[in-house]
Amino acid sequence: MERKIKLTINDYKTNVWVDWCPGCGNYGILSAMYQAFADLQLEPEKTVVVSGIGCSGKTPHFINVTGVHTLHGRALPYAEGIKLANPDLTVVVNVGDGDLLGIGAAHFVALGRRNVDLVVIMHDNTVYGLTKGQASPTLARNLQPKALPKPNIQDAVNPIGLAIAAGYTFIARGYAARVQHLKELIKKAILHKGAAFIDVLQPCVTYDNIHTYDYYNKRVYDLQEEGWDPMVKSLRSFRRRPPRHWLSPTRVMVGYQLVYSWLIQTYLRSRRDTPRGCRIT
Amino acid sequence: MNELRYIIGGPQGGGLETTSEILSWAFAWSGYGIISDREYFSNIKGRHSYVHATVSATELPKHLTYPVDIVAAMDAETVFTHFNDLRDGGYLIYNSDDDSVNYASIPSMERELRDRLSEQFKGLGLDGTVKSVVKYLQGNRKVRVVALSFKELLMEIQKREGIVPSQASRYISTILVGAVAAITDISQESIDYSLRRRFTREDVYRHNRAMANIVIDLVKGQFGSELKLDPPKIGVRSILVASGNDAIAMAKVVAGVRFQAYYPITPAADESFTLEEYETLGGEGSIIIFQTEDELAAINAAIGAALTGVRSSVATSGPGFDLMVEGLGWAGHNEVPVVVTYYQRGGPSTGQPTRGGQSDLLSSVFASHGEYPRIVLASGDHEEAFYDAIDAFNYAETYQVPVIHLVDKFLANTIATIPMPNLDNVRITRGVLAPRGLKEYKRFDLSSPISPRAFLGDYVMWYTGDEHDEYGHINEDPINRVRMMNKRMSKLDIIDREIPEERRYSYFGPDRPDILLVGWGFVKGVAVKAVEELTEEGIGAGYYHIRMFIPFPRNSLTKFANEVGANNLIAVEHNYMAQASKLVAMNTGIMINKSIVKYTGRPMYVHELVNAVKNVLRGSTREVVSYGA
Repeated sequence: MERKIKLTINDYKTNVWVDWCPGCGNYGILSAMYQAFADLQLEPEKTVVVSGIGCSGKTPHFINVTGVHTLHGRALPYAEGIKLANPDLTVVVNVGDGDLLGIGAAHFVALGRRNVDLVVIMHDNTVYGLTKGQASPTLARNLQPKALPKPNIQDAVNPIGLAIAAGYTFIARGYAARVQHLKELIKKAILHKGAAFIDVLQPCVTYDNIHTYDYYNKRVYDLQEEGWDPMVKSLRSFRRRPPRHWLSPTRVMVGYQLVYSWLIQTYLRSRRDTPRGCRIT
Repeated sequence: MNELRYIIGGPQGGGLETTSEILSWAFAWSGYGIISDREYFSNIKGRHSYVHATVSATELPKHLTYPVDIVAAMDAETVFTHFNDLRDGGYLIYNSDDDSVNYASIPSMERELRDRLSEQFKGLGLDGTVKSVVKYLQGNRKVRVVALSFKELLMEIQKREGIVPSQASRYISTILVGAVAAITDISQESIDYSLRRRFTREDVYRHNRAMANIVIDLVKGQFGSELKLDPPKIGVRSILVASGNDAIAMAKVVAGVRFQAYYPITPAADESFTLEEYETLGGEGSIIIFQTEDELAAINAAIGAALTGVRSSVATSGPGFDLMVEGLGWAGHNEVPVVVTYYQRGGPSTGQPTRGGQSDLLSSVFASHGEYPRIVLASGDHEEAFYDAIDAFNYAETYQVPVIHLVDKFLANTIATIPMPNLDNVRITRGVLAPRGLKEYKRFDLSSPISPRAFLGDYVMWYTGDEHDEYGHINEDPINRVRMMNKRMSKLDIIDREIPEERRYSYFGPDRPDILLVGWGFVKGVAVKAVEELTEEGIGAGYYHIRMFIPFPRNSLTKFANEVGANNLIAVEHNYMAQASKLVAMNTGIMINKSIVKYTGRPMYVHELVNAVKNVLRGSTREVVSYGA
């Protein structure tokens, strides 16, 4: 359909009341998506937002493009089915950390292996929000957000490391309170031809009293501002950069795939699970 | 003779599947009908497997039975496992190099069989060697023994064709092909046709042909062709030889399937492999075969694809289906047409991965949390499976419901001759589609139970697993809930109204039967034959074949039951509970109190079904049959 009038941010909003908690990090993600969609002038009919279950799962209902709100953990298979069957559609997936790295982890790895042209935006808040604050797979050991009866006894998974190992060709991290920056990441991810993963640090104001806005504001920095070149131009350049203590030589094969890809990485140093050396990726 | 039955056995991985294909093609090429069942362990190499076939000069057979006319054995284990299956005066083809092998020394044989043999050999006074069994068969059972030294034959072929010794054992399966061909006198051309079709490499084809010829000459010279079949008089011009897996794969191509997702599982995976051979990407007629990381991904990717408007399906078996149930609920709730081809095997849990069963009927009909409409079809033979697979897509799209197409391992792995499908009568119906250019589109428009469907890309629309409003947005309003539930569930009434009763069942037997067997799925072939035999013996038996469980053939079954009398109904099924009889009770209120069931994982055979029916007539209410290795 030929569209003459330029779409504005408001054209991408639905009249469904956004029922996230006041102050939720998801508002920043939603805002960044509206802006990115408007910047790219995505056709609403040709754009599909797929989601799983949880607070993030409601995202499609707030965006005036086609929305497919699926099952817990299964957003990626739906998105792959949609994209493979109709490659003309732009498919953006919104999932939670429990959705993607807990119940749906097998699909997360499999999408990396396949490198299907999808964007995966993970709402990373270390808790299961909609079931009232249980520990999610991104919560580090010994931490005890306020809903937990006891400190967490399991280690956190590193989403960025897992994405690299799985073979994603665009890997990024954003922060829900830096909307402009996140918007640019989302745009790059949509334009990237291949499986793109954006880990978004997203404070849960109701259940996570540790990873607050204040917590992130003090720690977050932008790799690109520090002069990081996101492009992996050759196997050699990839090999040179990862410090040995983090990427073992057995992971070089993963890097081989990255030779052909963008590796735009806004590594925002955070908290918890990522040793400082991670910034190389 | 009009009908020939044989068993060919050997170690798994020893070329048995090839033997089965070659003989099936050869008989079919000569104009005979054949059904060839393959029984095997969950194992790649070494355990005992066998092919059990019926060849007919007068019909395209759908039944298997015992005893058999020929047992052809690649190894000693086959002789021990199947010598009891041989009729008096039948033929045993075996490797005479195995004469001194004792049953007790065969490590792949399961202890239970060994114990039963030990008991039998003690009773017969046999020492437990192959030789002793052969002598017993010759002396007491008038069996004609074709003793071939495989070693000598292999040396002969090595010499003639210049094959390296390490490769020679590949030709063992062809020894058996040659021996069966000789005894039954199938033409040289038909064997030649089959070998050429099977072996595309010229030298391999040549070696196999040479091997077959050596054996044919040798056996014919010694034994003649006593089991020569009468000239075929089936009268079907054009015949398809296919396994159940392949028949359904072909039907899916005909139905225009564009997306098939699967995770490897026996006995469903071969269907997807066959489809993948024809996979084309891009352009008209493209088919994507998507091997996923698990069945959860398979069903949900298939649903995703279906949302874009392509015909989409999965093929799976019990353990995989269990994982798909949540996704199926999403499809039911969101009114997505998706087809599940469900190959039943023995359950529960891993159960009997390579054996057949019909124990997933209730699961297919009920598996779900919450309530949503679905259609359940069950095919009784290859031909039904072909047409049912096509109808499954038509029904799915017409009523916007998930469709479960139930088949089983028996069908999947059985090669059969079927009349060439008539595609002139095949129709593709895609159901109500939304027109283009609407100002506003509501995917779940409440003005009719079946809302016009648009595909992703046509309009902005929403889907959600939550209860939703007409737009597909989450909605928890109680009145809306009632409307949406009514919309979805009332499709069952529409389905019941629109799919004709005759489509849901078939009946075989005399006009006014005295007793009525009620069955479904692979029971069909054996039941139809059993009914014929019983009628010949003066017992007025009919067979009522259920082909759809949702919608259920309520009226016709009630009518039959009233005529025959509920007390004269016998459920015949491959499960413990006689599951279909429970659905009969649920749908009609008729209680079927007599059952003949089999749950060994092997198919039911005509001889045991006929016997079981007679036992029921003598007063038994439950017969559990268990013949077959």
